[in-house]
Amino acid sequence: MIKKFIHQFASPKTYLFQVDRAYPYIFYTSLSIYLVALFWGLFLTSEDFVQGNSYRIIYLHVPASFISQSLYLAMAFASAIFLIWKVKLSAYLVRSIAPIGAITTFIALVSGAIWGIPTWGTWWAWDARIISTLILFIMYLGLISLHDSFTDNEKADKFLAILVIVGSVNIPIIKMSVEWWSTLHQTASITVTEKPAIDPSMLYPLFGSIIGFTGIVFCLVILSSKLQILKREKNKSWVKDYV
Amino acid sequence: MKLLKFELLKLRKKSRGWLGPILVFVLIMTAFPLTVEILNKDIDQSFFSVLWIATLLVMMLATEDIFLEDFNDGTLEQMAIKHNSLSGVITIKIFVYWLLIGLPISLLGALYGFGITTSADLAIQLIPILMITTYIFLNVFSFGNALSLTKGSILGILITMPLVLPLLVVLGKVVIAINLGMNFLGFLFLLLGILSIIIFVLPIIISFVIKAHLE
Repeated sequence: MIKKFIHQFASPKTYLFQVDRAYPYIFYTSLSIYLVALFWGLFLTSEDFVQGNSYRIIYLHVPASFISQSLYLAMAFASAIFLIWKVKLSAYLVRSIAPIGAITTFIALVSGAIWGIPTWGTWWAWDARIISTLILFIMYLGLISLHDSFTDNEKADKFLAILVIVGSVNIPIIKMSVEWWSTLHQTASITVTEKPAIDPSMLYPLFGSIIGFTGIVFCLVILSSKLQILKREKNKSWVKDYV
Repeated sequence: MKLLKFELLKLRKKSRGWLGPILVFVLIMTAFPLTVEILNKDIDQSFFSVLWIATLLVMMLATEDIFLEDFNDGTLEQMAIKHNSLSGVITIKIFVYWLLIGLPISLLGALYGFGITTSADLAIQLIPILMITTYIFLNVFSFGNALSLTKGSILGILITMPLVLPLLVVLGKVVIAINLGMNFLGFLFLLLGILSIIIFVLPIIISFVIKAHLE
């Protein structure tokens, strides 16, 4: 049954209709979660002892950074599926995730820069975490330009998938950059294995903002993948009916 | 072996292909002290940065048309049919490039290192590091140029440059180790480890890419 479901879901047509149905629920749920988390984080929690009010940008910076790396992993996963099982849908997804990844990485960089002014006294430092995030941003742009430089979409899909998988060696480096080198950027406050190094009153809204932001970005990916499917399958008859 | 000789001859005849990058390297390394105060004691520090970046740039230049000519005149297609493993052909191709470009640049880099820091120890330490580094760079940039085979090398550089940046960090650490007189063998083995993975994996991926181009 699961196999049948996956097979059906892998067809762009079924995907489109299923996603259309689920979209409003995901969007409004995650938007409300994010707004509640933001309200909680901005107005109900106390000031930070050291950073004052400036720390509150954490509710944008941390979700954006988290998502920017996760999207790349998602792309790598989809690329592997495309190369192994030749699922067309996953190739569309890889292409449609790339610009969203670039945007979230950009948000992470800019919000980090704004946060840097009051806390580090500089908006930019040649620090391992910042540079590796910038590299991630450039990688996303490179992926987009690689795909767009080919007129033959099938070829472009294949090359994009290969490059994404080869490029994924950089993700652990970005993730571990704060641990392996002595940097200005702090190490992760929340990890899976250890007790969070952040007060619960700030932790819960942070979790909320991460979940909400992830949901919103997920919706963006859905929209972008819909566009990609309609563009690629424009000669199919069901697309004409759909539009 | 026949293939190795053939590739070697082909590259050797094309002097722009191998002598050009070496001369560019020489020019960069000769020009950079002009931009620094002559009495500056910190020239050692900037020397290494310039050395790594110059190596990186020259390797980019060198691989610019590693597959393009063969692709255009159909040699690559014939090789893909004739030889069972295209990845073997690619390994040999990259090895030839390293022999004619990477190796001389490693020796020249060490020579410049001796000229600027006047330390023979350092120059000898630089040779293996540069030899490994140039080989890694050649592999990675060949991959980029295989991806952007018919689309110009700018695209290839744009997409593979991020992949080698972690390597530059390692090279930076090597310099610190050498300057402090620490044991740099650990880093050498790290580089060797990276190389030994790349040397097997990347030619396979490149052959996959080229086959897709030939379809």
